[in-house]
Amino acid sequence: MESDAASPAAVSTEIVLSAEHLTKRFGRREAVSDVSFDVHAGEVFGFLGPNGAGKTTTIRMLVGLARPDRGVVRIRGLDLAHEFRRAMAHVGCIVEAPDLYRYLTGRENLVHFSRMLPDGAAGRIPELARLVALSERLDDRVATYSLGMRQRLGIAQALLGNPDILILDEPANGLDPAGIREIRELVRHLAAERGIAVFVSSHLLSEVEQTCDRVAIIHRGRTLATGPVRELVDRFASDRVRIVARPARAAAGILASFGEAETEAGDGEGAIDARVPRERLPDALRALAAGGADVFAVERRLASLEEVFLDVTGGETV
Amino acid sequence: MRFSGLVENEILKFTRQRRFRVVVLILVALIGLIVFAQARGRERFRSGKDWHVETQERMARIQNWLRDGRMPASSARWARFELDRLRYHLDRDIDPEAVSGPLFARGFANAASYLLLPLLAIVFASDVVSAEFAQGTIKLLLTRPVGRARVLASKLAALALAITLTVVFGGAVAYVFGGIAYGYAGWGAPVLAGFRAAGERLDPAAVRAIPLWQDAILAYGLAWFAALCVGAIALLTSVLLRSTAAAMGTMLAALIAGTILPRLASSWESQRFLFVTALPLPDYYSGSPPPITGLTVGFGAAVLAAWAAAALAAAFAVFVRRDVLA
Repeated sequence: MESDAASPAAVSTEIVLSAEHLTKRFGRREAVSDVSFDVHAGEVFGFLGPNGAGKTTTIRMLVGLARPDRGVVRIRGLDLAHEFRRAMAHVGCIVEAPDLYRYLTGRENLVHFSRMLPDGAAGRIPELARLVALSERLDDRVATYSLGMRQRLGIAQALLGNPDILILDEPANGLDPAGIREIRELVRHLAAERGIAVFVSSHLLSEVEQTCDRVAIIHRGRTLATGPVRELVDRFASDRVRIVARPARAAAGILASFGEAETEAGDGEGAIDARVPRERLPDALRALAAGGADVFAVERRLASLEEVFLDVTGGETV
Repeated sequence: MRFSGLVENEILKFTRQRRFRVVVLILVALIGLIVFAQARGRERFRSGKDWHVETQERMARIQNWLRDGRMPASSARWARFELDRLRYHLDRDIDPEAVSGPLFARGFANAASYLLLPLLAIVFASDVVSAEFAQGTIKLLLTRPVGRARVLASKLAALALAITLTVVFGGAVAYVFGGIAYGYAGWGAPVLAGFRAAGERLDPAAVRAIPLWQDAILAYGLAWFAALCVGAIALLTSVLLRSTAAAMGTMLAALIAGTILPRLASSWESQRFLFVTALPLPDYYSGSPPPITGLTVGFGAAVLAAWAAAALAAAFAVFVRRDVLA
């Protein structure tokens, strides 16, 4: 493991989890349609979509709780449908909520799940309790835990089997900002230090943007875009420019004919946020000059994931 | 990932839930109440005469009849058994007409096999699977590198163990409480066993005298077997309905229907194929006339076993294949 971690470049291309054309129908409704993606070792992969987009259904297929009507899930190359036990030995997961046995203590929960793993998993309990900062409360009943503590116990449980991939369904749900930060740091730590692939679903854009290396956007059961967070932002929002010109309002009027333009400034110098396709930008600038506007600055604006999402889903918010 | 570890898990969950303690309490309270009520009832009907004298008089009377030789052979067999029985009790200074602790414990097997033991089996079995759905823990349980059939098998093993312990514990409590009220001696007392219903009458050919402890083991064994089969059927309802309340309600309704049906419609002979009618196996074994023609111990046991086997097959098939979406 140490040598792997020392050469992250070699690890990062290794596919740990792949979903190939997953499709799931409930009656007539297709909840998930032809969803495909790969998750690599050592990366945090975000699965972003509004509630009801098919995230949890997809996750249930990834961990074998539901059978896809079409498509294959491979974990370390093992077909989940045919080699469930060998494949699941590489997986740790929390589906939907960190549901643990509330009438048992944290330690009893971990012992319980370690008995479902190869021998030796129980030996990792003290170390994992330390990792998720639960050592002090490990012998209290889970019913007395806060949601954040249960989420952390759930992660400790998921890590018991030394998984290659950790699947977390909405880990930030219901947590306060401090709890969200804790989970985020833990996830980054696991990916960076242990080379674990982490699959995180979320409906929170800011969360995915801050935590994930790559992201797949799912909407109405379909993946609309997949790629590195930065690249997606560039690809889908490359037409966003900020132009500083005078008179601002008149300049915005000229730019509007090339796309969209907005400004809050009046007849003086002001910033205009516009969307002009890259290949039309030179024409737009010539038109500004011809129209008597002075241009002081032109800059590409880096869009947020939120804007990417709005673009790919056609305006529906998360 | 040994199977014993999985069973240990299930036992841990059984014992840490409140229902286990509730069942223990129910058994203790109920048996205590029965003993108390019976003992009070008996005190009122006691005659003034010493039972030693009474027993000796009866033995003398029977010996006279036997010496007469005018008694038919079948009655002579009964008379000789009665004589042995009375002698056993007199030798050990036990009132032959009184209830002994062992006798009370033996009787409890019959009484409990109708409702109490099946009820407790249902209480245990109903939430074995449905509770995991209700708590959401099913999602963790079925995403470990353990096959689903193995998970359910471990639950079944723990359930069987819980039912076994309940039957043993029930018998033990009945003996302890019965002993307090009636004394602990008398396990060796001869009792008649091997009754067989032949048509509307009892066929005495196979009847023989066995010590009470043997008879008790047989009766409890039958009650245990019936409770296990009910547990298996309740496990299926737990798998199918995924709600503890619904599973328990369904099984209770079946159980109650089973106690009413033979009384209201004893002429409907097909009901002997229902598992609820077959439940009081110890009764059929003890020779009480069967409520429905053709319902013998062997037949009842076969009906229960068939139901249980079918229920388990269905429970495994559904549990292994069904999507977990709750």
